[in-house]
Amino acid sequence: MVAGRNSESDDAATSSDGGGDDGAQPVPDGGGADGAQPVPGRDAIDDEGYAIGSGRSDVVRRIDHDDFDPIGTLVLIAIYMAIVGVMWVFMYFVEFLGGDLTVIG
Amino acid sequence: MDIHRYEKVWLAGALLLIVGFIATVSYGAVGAGITMVNDEGGQVDHDSLDEHPRFSEPGTYADGPNEYDVYVVAYQFGFEPGTQEPIRVPAGSEVTFHVTSRDVTHGFQVVGTNANTMVIPGQVSTITVRFDEAGTEEYGLLCNEYCGAAHHAMEGRIEVVPQSQWNESMEVS
Repeated sequence: MVAGRNSESDDAATSSDGGGDDGAQPVPDGGGADGAQPVPGRDAIDDEGYAIGSGRSDVVRRIDHDDFDPIGTLVLIAIYMAIVGVMWVFMYFVEFLGGDLTVIG
Repeated sequence: MDIHRYEKVWLAGALLLIVGFIATVSYGAVGAGITMVNDEGGQVDHDSLDEHPRFSEPGTYADGPNEYDVYVVAYQFGFEPGTQEPIRVPAGSEVTFHVTSRDVTHGFQVVGTNANTMVIPGQVSTITVRFDEAGTEEYGLLCNEYCGAAHHAMEGRIEVVPQSQWNESMEVS
């Protein structure tokens, strides 16, 4: 995907040569781009207004599998499961089994 | 395949919830004795209910010690008995309702309880419930299947008569 986007943007950059405006495109942080690219032409702008290929394409920071630590997600899921458990106990044992008449045959 | 340690936690939690759900429903069926409404009531000809031994004269029939059968015919827009006169059952007894319809599909629900069944013409729905001695004295009855223009007015009553006041005249026999 990333490689595809890069080559696409290269094509776009080539095709937009001579677009007149030769201002340098802002280089992304840590982008490591060697030279300034020309501002992409209209063809290189996608539907949402982003210049194709302008995103950061290199690795910023590499972490190991278990270094990813979404503790907030874990807490949210724990809260959600606790709510589901309590609601189930209330609905089944209090509202349903605690109901007045129950079908027993 | 690497599975993140947090992912293992919530996968285990989800499995535990599923096992818990199944365990409680199993407990309800085995421990608490909850049953589902089924088709054991059999079928009747809804056009000739007046030839049926019980539905021709619906009401409360004694079926054994503290066991009663209540035959109810649902119609547009009421229950017989139930609407014109209340269904009477003795307190502290086990009552089986046999309900059928002579016109369209109705519902039979004892308001605010789990006693509830669909009433289909040609089919007898049976539900057995226990009325406690010290329980509620009167229950509402309503149709919960849209059955026509006056569906909203289709209702009835069940009177739970204390054992001491119960007498044979309240039974159809």
